[in-house]
Amino acid sequence: MLKKFIILVAISLGLGFLSRHVGLNFNQSTAISIFSVSVLGTLFFWDFRLGFVFLGTSVLLMTRTTNIENVIKFASLDVILFLVGMMVLVGLLKEAGFFAWIVQLILRIRNMTAVKFVVIISVISALLSTMTSEVVSIIFMVAAVFEICDYFEVDAVPYLIISILATNIGSAATVLGNPIGILIATKAGLTFEDFIIKAFPLAAVCLFASIFLLVIWYRKTNAELDKHIKELGANEMLIKLISIPPDKELKISLAIFGATLFCISLHHRLELLWNLEPNTILLMMPLLSSGAVMIWKWRRAREYVEKDVEWWTLLFFMLLFAQAGTLKYTGATDVLAQKLAGLAGNSVSVLIGIILWISTIGSSILDNVVLVAAFIPVIQSFQNMNFDLQPLWWALLFGGCLGGNITLVGSTANIVALGILEKEKNIRMTFFRWFGVGLSVGILTTVIVWIALVFLPFYH
Amino acid sequence: MKVKEIMSKQVKSLSPDMSAREAFDVLSEMEISGLPVIDKEGKLVGMFTEKDVLSHILPSYIQKVGKFIYEQNPKSTKKKIEGLSDITVSKLMRKEVVVVDEDTTLCEVARTMLTQQARRVPVVDKQGHVIGIVARCDILKAMAKE
Repeated sequence: MLKKFIILVAISLGLGFLSRHVGLNFNQSTAISIFSVSVLGTLFFWDFRLGFVFLGTSVLLMTRTTNIENVIKFASLDVILFLVGMMVLVGLLKEAGFFAWIVQLILRIRNMTAVKFVVIISVISALLSTMTSEVVSIIFMVAAVFEICDYFEVDAVPYLIISILATNIGSAATVLGNPIGILIATKAGLTFEDFIIKAFPLAAVCLFASIFLLVIWYRKTNAELDKHIKELGANEMLIKLISIPPDKELKISLAIFGATLFCISLHHRLELLWNLEPNTILLMMPLLSSGAVMIWKWRRAREYVEKDVEWWTLLFFMLLFAQAGTLKYTGATDVLAQKLAGLAGNSVSVLIGIILWISTIGSSILDNVVLVAAFIPVIQSFQNMNFDLQPLWWALLFGGCLGGNITLVGSTANIVALGILEKEKNIRMTFFRWFGVGLSVGILTTVIVWIALVFLPFYH
Repeated sequence: MKVKEIMSKQVKSLSPDMSAREAFDVLSEMEISGLPVIDKEGKLVGMFTEKDVLSHILPSYIQKVGKFIYEQNPKSTKKKIEGLSDITVSKLMRKEVVVVDEDTTLCEVARTMLTQQARRVPVVDKQGHVIGIVARCDILKAMAKE
């Protein structure tokens, strides 16, 4: 632990001195140095990350690198409130049995075959993650995968990996799939419609290419599952064990969630119709729905807010965004943007590649929110250089989501699912068992996105 | 009134090395929800309760899924119940145990039980040896007498 702490301090100070050496001023170097403490803090001391951003932000204020006004301005309260609203809604759905209902729908697949199972868990993992976020989605998918694999007495690990990979791919498809989606949408002025038109089809192509690869990769496991399905006689018995008819509460919850998704998907049109500021409806809808939920379930309202909202993570995000904002405020990201543009020879195509691959590789090691928070002000700085920003935003989004598939610590969904695997099955995933398939899917999907963003005028 | 005046000095305990199945049978026989786990040196090392057994045999994700989806016990639960004989008490027990010393007042023990959601609290000496145990009903009875 002491060794890691020394490395963290050494790298952060080193980056600070290096920035001074290449001509950045004191405030810019301090902002870079403190931000790198937060980044390395998430890498080396995950459980202490909130403490690191609290301390770092205090240092930024004390050294006058930023001020209180900027901390509040850059903390992205809009994004935080959106996430709070969605978390309350997910708490309601969980309590109403929505996810148990989804799990039993998966378990009730008739005439099961191994390939059918792979396709269905991949598609549902991806779709659920586009609607409820990757971390929420993966828990229910793990439950479904474990039940099916227990029933047919096959190794659950390959199917768990398939589900996680699909979840991470699906998380890039909409604003709701990943915190970086809403973060990029608000900073880039992208709408839900933009995501549906541009990100969703690309994520779908990545998903189907990955399914194809995974069916081949796990052909032996699939053959084993097919054998067991024949022996145990499909899953008729499993179907008999489970049945959850949707009750009144679940129907009302589904109606609220459905209405929220519907309005979010049309937010741009509604904002134009009512002459509202961009993204007003997008950010307001989760608040409106969760407000209605808290009045409907007023006895449970406090519990939804206290237990279902991850305040620890949200506070971390707020201060991290404030620190990333300080990079912009001091002009450090302008300098970085100029260097990157110079490196790319002022070519958008090269820049797309650089941003896509840096964010893919970076998010395979780091929390993607940390990485994206750092990159956003850099991309905003490209605007002054007359670059077309659209493909750069998509590159950042896809890199941040797809990179999570490369390593077993690449995304929160991976960590959550593998934690359950260890607890339930006493199986500890090794780095290399994951890395082979994760890297293959990661490279395949990133290359697909790279080609699409560079060669399809649709993305420019 | 101090806890030493009402605590049970005959403390039935479990060993950390015994199997979870054996320990569960002891709880069932005694019709009690939990017992302290004491090592060979007489020191308190944990608390083993029915709740620990329940949280082990149910899928760990069940609280997050929201509702239980089965009409019958799933295979994984049946397997885990069978596997209780192969797991030691030390694997399932809660290691952070609320304890009091013998000079603690009844009100303080009652407050501790309420805030820490403990049904029974071991009483330990300065070396960590268990010298008694006090249950919620002991506290209530003593308070009613006072």
